[in-house]
Amino acid sequence: MQRFGEIVARAAKHRRTLTAIDATATRLYGWRWNPVHQSGTVAVAMLLVLIGTGVYLVLFYRLGSPWASVARLAADPWLGAWMRSLHRYASDVFLIAAALHLLRMFTQARSWGPRTLAWMSGLVLFGAGVVCAWTGFVMAWDTFGERLARDGARLLDVLPILSEPLSRIFAGDGPVPSAFFFVNLFIHLAVPLAMGAILWLHVSRMARPVLLPPRRVTWTIVGALTVAAVFVPATLGPPANAFHLPPATPVDLVAAWWLPLSERLTPGVAWGAALVPLFALIAVPRWTRRPREGRWAPSNVDARLCTGCTQCAQDCPWEAITLVQRDDGRPTPLAHVNPGHCVSCGICAGSCAPMGIGPPARTGRDQLAAVRDDVLPLLARSDAAPVLAICCERVPASHTAALRQRGAYVHVVSCVGNLHSSVIESLLRAGAQGVLVGGCPPRDCASREGPKWLRERLYNDREAELHVRVDRRRIRVATLAPGDLRGSIDAFEAFTRELALLDQPIRETATEFDAVCDPVPLDEVAS
Amino acid sequence: MIQAAHAGRGLVAAIATAAAVFGVSRASAILLPLHDAHSARLRLSWSARPERIEVCRTLSAEELAQREEHMRQRVVCNGRFASYTLRVEADDRVLDEAVVRGAGLRHDRPIYLLRDFDLAAGVHHVRVSFERREQMDGTAAAGQGGTRTERKEADTEKEEIDTGIFAGRAQREAVEYARRARAAIPPRLLLDTTLVFGSGRAIAVTFTPERRMLQLLAERPPRR
Repeated sequence: MQRFGEIVARAAKHRRTLTAIDATATRLYGWRWNPVHQSGTVAVAMLLVLIGTGVYLVLFYRLGSPWASVARLAADPWLGAWMRSLHRYASDVFLIAAALHLLRMFTQARSWGPRTLAWMSGLVLFGAGVVCAWTGFVMAWDTFGERLARDGARLLDVLPILSEPLSRIFAGDGPVPSAFFFVNLFIHLAVPLAMGAILWLHVSRMARPVLLPPRRVTWTIVGALTVAAVFVPATLGPPANAFHLPPATPVDLVAAWWLPLSERLTPGVAWGAALVPLFALIAVPRWTRRPREGRWAPSNVDARLCTGCTQCAQDCPWEAITLVQRDDGRPTPLAHVNPGHCVSCGICAGSCAPMGIGPPARTGRDQLAAVRDDVLPLLARSDAAPVLAICCERVPASHTAALRQRGAYVHVVSCVGNLHSSVIESLLRAGAQGVLVGGCPPRDCASREGPKWLRERLYNDREAELHVRVDRRRIRVATLAPGDLRGSIDAFEAFTRELALLDQPIRETATEFDAVCDPVPLDEVAS
Repeated sequence: MIQAAHAGRGLVAAIATAAAVFGVSRASAILLPLHDAHSARLRLSWSARPERIEVCRTLSAEELAQREEHMRQRVVCNGRFASYTLRVEADDRVLDEAVVRGAGLRHDRPIYLLRDFDLAAGVHHVRVSFERREQMDGTAAAGQGGTRTERKEADTEKEEIDTGIFAGRAQREAVEYARRARAAIPPRLLLDTTLVFGSGRAIAVTFTPERRMLQLLAERPPRR
């Protein structure tokens, strides 16, 4: 068991597969419209398409004559045929997107601790999608639907649930009862309703959950599927017949990829083959969890510095921060971090002007101290003012290497949303020619809202804003997306070209940073 | 130059999207083999109640007097449900031979039988036998409600006290015994016939309670 856990944990760190998929999609669509980054929201969009088309389709479905009613729909060239096809293709895309989302969360280590609820509810949503697809195919009651129903019945019959084997329904010694189609339809309609509630649970720990992809992505996918539905309509097999043994049936391998395997296994082995991976998926939060220390320690609040401004609570993407009453007599409230909700993203560190909150070693003061120790000596030594690139730790090494080759000094932070604006100011005042802040694509931020809050703080005066005296022309926020090395280089070169047109920066002494960076002695605050 | 690059990238994206969607549409209808084109199938499918094998005893007047009035059932039966031997042969080749019991832990539920046997298409001599395993010596099936002797005594007793709250009970019991006997599988079922199996076709053998015999079922119009 321990060994199995180690394998899961090692697999979680193995991001190459995902990075390759991400990079390919970024090359094709650009990071703004990368559908892989949107996998979760694409699944939700497809769910809406499924509900919309499903409401139309169910109006024409007849329990007493399932195949004939679906065949009539499929034969209607104006609306029925493509609505049905769109429904079918959207279900396929839903499953693909949901599986991809699952893979992303797993390989990005976003599946443990405070995200356990999202992980588990996501698994349930995926399972519900499979059940919906299963029942949907059975509804049509063509040879494929019958094949699925038979296999499902075969698997259910080994469980001590039903006294009479379900498989006998399809034996042919009597008509398949309408009750079977009714129950199947009921499941097909009820499960999506339950999915709505589970989706709410899925995002319940998030502040400002984004449920839909950008419009362009949504309409591109829906449009492409509609075109496919019109020109390559979904097939409907011959009607199911208990006395026919079709040599082959059309199978939707996206939704029923497991069927050929399941049919070859005995029911017991098939259950085992399904339950072992399911058990592993359920155990992922347990096996991939990190000790809540170091990089994964939750944020702390320095009560001496907290002004009760509420900005950290507003910015926290996980609603992990609340304001509580102080017990030291000061009139303002005090930020309180719920470690059970905190994912150690560090967004709060960038949101706190007095630098009183953040994960250990990543508060604004810690960032300033790191810059003072690592970067300022370099600036002091260099004759020409260098360009600094502050990059998220998830930016690919190839990108940071390319920036270094072009003369940039690269300083890595845990997330650009973690970055305190004072760090940028300090670097510019210390003589940096310019600061390029390179983060992940906004919809691919592991901290959810890092690039968004960074821009707000730099350009839109969001609390912990960059001081007005700082020359914004010397700052550039860039997206350094995997698969878009050219874009990263172009952004950097364009920035350096613009910097070349500006005057040389004025270098200030670094002594004044000491006052900010050093921890405030407790007795000094008390006095 | 930049516009051309954008247009080229857009074209590649459009092609990739079209390919992905086409892939999804194709993957949603992959023909996968299910049955051998020249195979046929013999299917056995029925559900019926097994016979009840009971030993009945008539309570004495003293025993009855010790019970509450509404509990004075004169004939008390203990028993179990019969088990059966299923034997399926095709062209003198035994396809299956098994003991079949009622469903449930105590085997007191109906027998649910569903067996599929793949055969080559063509003509086959098929023999299906379904025989009760238990001998009835000293015991009796539910329809008889006990051994002949005991039954006779019970009937006599019934006639004597078929009044009061027992009024009409003898008749009701008789009706119930008859119903259970009719619903139960006969001690021996046999189907011995020659069948022509078409390619890719199944023929089902089922038990019809009305006729109390095995019956053949072939293709019927599909459910539309």
